[in-house]
Amino acid sequence: MKKLLALLLALCMVFALAACGQTAAPAEKPADAPADKPADAPADKPAEAVKMTLALRGGTYAEVIKECLPAFEAENNVSIEVLDLAEDDLHSGIALDAINPTGTYDLVMVDGSWMAEFTANGVLANLTELGYELDDDIIPATTAICVVDGQTYLAPYYGNVTVLLYNKQLVKDAGFEGDDIANLDDILAICKAAQAAGKKGFIYRGDSNNNTVVDFLPILLSFGGWVVDENNKPTVNTPEFKAAMEFYLELVATGEAEKKDDLIASVDTGAGAMGVGWPGWYKPTAETPADYCAITGVAHDGDPAYLANVYGVWTIGVPANCPHPELAVKLLSYLMDKDVQLATVPSGGVPCRYSALQNEEVLAAYPQYKVVCQALEGGKYRPVLAQWPQMYDILGAELGNILQGVKTVDQGLADAQSRLESEIDW
Amino acid sequence: MNKNRERLVSGAAQTKRFGVSMITPTLIVLIILTAYPLIFTFYYSLTDYNLLKALKSPAQFIGLKNYVKLLGNEYFRKAIWNTVKFTIFAVLFEMLFGFIMATFINSLRRGQKALRTLLLLPYLLPTVTVALSWRMMLSPNYGIVNHVLSSLNLPVYNWFADIKTAFPMLLVIDIWQSSPFVFLLLYAALQAVPQDQYEAAKIEGATTFETLIYITIPNIKNSLALCALLRTIDSFRLFDKVNLLTGGGPANSTTTITQYLYNTGIKVFDFGYGSAGAIVMTIIVLLLASIYIKRAMS
Repeated sequence: MKKLLALLLALCMVFALAACGQTAAPAEKPADAPADKPADAPADKPAEAVKMTLALRGGTYAEVIKECLPAFEAENNVSIEVLDLAEDDLHSGIALDAINPTGTYDLVMVDGSWMAEFTANGVLANLTELGYELDDDIIPATTAICVVDGQTYLAPYYGNVTVLLYNKQLVKDAGFEGDDIANLDDILAICKAAQAAGKKGFIYRGDSNNNTVVDFLPILLSFGGWVVDENNKPTVNTPEFKAAMEFYLELVATGEAEKKDDLIASVDTGAGAMGVGWPGWYKPTAETPADYCAITGVAHDGDPAYLANVYGVWTIGVPANCPHPELAVKLLSYLMDKDVQLATVPSGGVPCRYSALQNEEVLAAYPQYKVVCQALEGGKYRPVLAQWPQMYDILGAELGNILQGVKTVDQGLADAQSRLESEIDW
Repeated sequence: MNKNRERLVSGAAQTKRFGVSMITPTLIVLIILTAYPLIFTFYYSLTDYNLLKALKSPAQFIGLKNYVKLLGNEYFRKAIWNTVKFTIFAVLFEMLFGFIMATFINSLRRGQKALRTLLLLPYLLPTVTVALSWRMMLSPNYGIVNHVLSSLNLPVYNWFADIKTAFPMLLVIDIWQSSPFVFLLLYAALQAVPQDQYEAAKIEGATTFETLIYITIPNIKNSLALCALLRTIDSFRLFDKVNLLTGGGPANSTTTITQYLYNTGIKVFDFGYGSAGAIVMTIIVLLLASIYIKRAMS
């Protein structure tokens, strides 16, 4: 009995080990088998629906895609599973799946800041080779990161770009209208007026290093500064950076750091005057207490205007190890179709297309799309560097030290520069 | 005589074989789930393994470079200090409150069961639920805590964004959630203390304090040590609350070792560097645990 028990246990362990150690090999297809169809499917039986899996950023970004899928599923006899993921989970999910010979995902949503590491390491499929090309209707600036060496890897799907989210009443009380906010000095004046009235002025997200950096970038750009030079090397200890940081300290002193949901609630309820936001966060109408406008990129009256709106465009692409590449590209082309994209607008879709953002009917119903179009035309992507995640982590930590008064501007920027140079392999 | 001896030897061998066969499954599970990952993590810590870069070029052996980089990093040292500080305060207060609750409930003649259940509730909640509930309660906009404070004309705070309040708030939440665990273990231990000792102390005229010092504590000292050990290890691994509530900020004031490793190792797929951090953390936890284990065994 004891021997039998021991033998059974040993067998269980062997099976468990064998199952854990098995490497997923790509399914071999006969050369004449049609793509994306089970090779052994009997010819006379209706083909079983192919199952596709999409990894998308949860929220409005995924919802508008989900809305478009039933028509594609019916037309192509596919069943599509959508995974709504948080930003970090999406990033790690795509990367972890990339190490498998055959992946799980057919189509993925990619943030612009991940593009460099993904293309450098062959995570994404070459869409040009798969027969997809970007069309002229797409706002050209939004495609800047999608093409590498003349080859397309991504398509800009959701036009997320930083805007200035403000409370209409508090802006009015300070003697302004949304369209009148011409430079950063106006922003400061409004926030100081709100603070004097017992409200919070400028609210920023200080809950993660990435958010700390992203909310500061429009201010930095308005001062003509940037985080890397023309050779993509870190340059944060510069006069422009210092001037922007000193201004930002004065601005944030009128308000406080809050999480995204609190920031939106503050501006919506009038507890706070304004903050840097994204179109996907808020749907303004004539009745809503808050609205948004593009950041002009002018620091002080008379200064030059810089591109100051930072892209957070959600792009879509196909993983290099996608299980159904032909269907995936077909789906991507369908989702990028201008009519399909136009149909997503009432649900909160923000296409990076002139045909949608300049459509008269759309503008009559959603006037804010004019601002979004302007911001998308004058936007800037975060540095397309494989080192960007490490870079924003270091920079965010040092900016946090400055904002919390742990370090002076000079000390914080000098430390940031030296850490960026020494801790990252350039 | 010889036959008897042979029988004895074969009986002993059989017992030994049975013992070995009984312990083997546990050993195999331990090897697969503990030893193998630990050895692999140590191996990775000596390489520059990056999940994405490894798709193009395999990881290289770089010796102790990750450890040098890690220990030379001021933010990692700060994360160690934050973790140690958090562990000390959390264990101290959780032990104190858990002990007070246990002795109080144990002294009740009625309502023990109801109060015991109520006190255990925070520990039964998932950490994510706890973190999100506290985040809502402490929200600077719609949080009940700030509403109550402002209605009492007391100063309000932006609890998780202020460098002065973020760390203490994390401590408060952890103490609130984990004190019931200490209470549960100590309450069980208190139930096992012989009542005649208390009766003898009462006859001898011992004060409440003397009873506590000379009877209660010596009787439950093993449980106290076990609680302290378990809470120390658990507090040292603190991650979920920090990640959900502060992300390690503001200005790294709440970054623990695990949060630091998540930000600089896992999030950027730098698994070699992350593994080095995990090994350092394992060593620290083992050192802390060994003190308790040694004491308990002696």
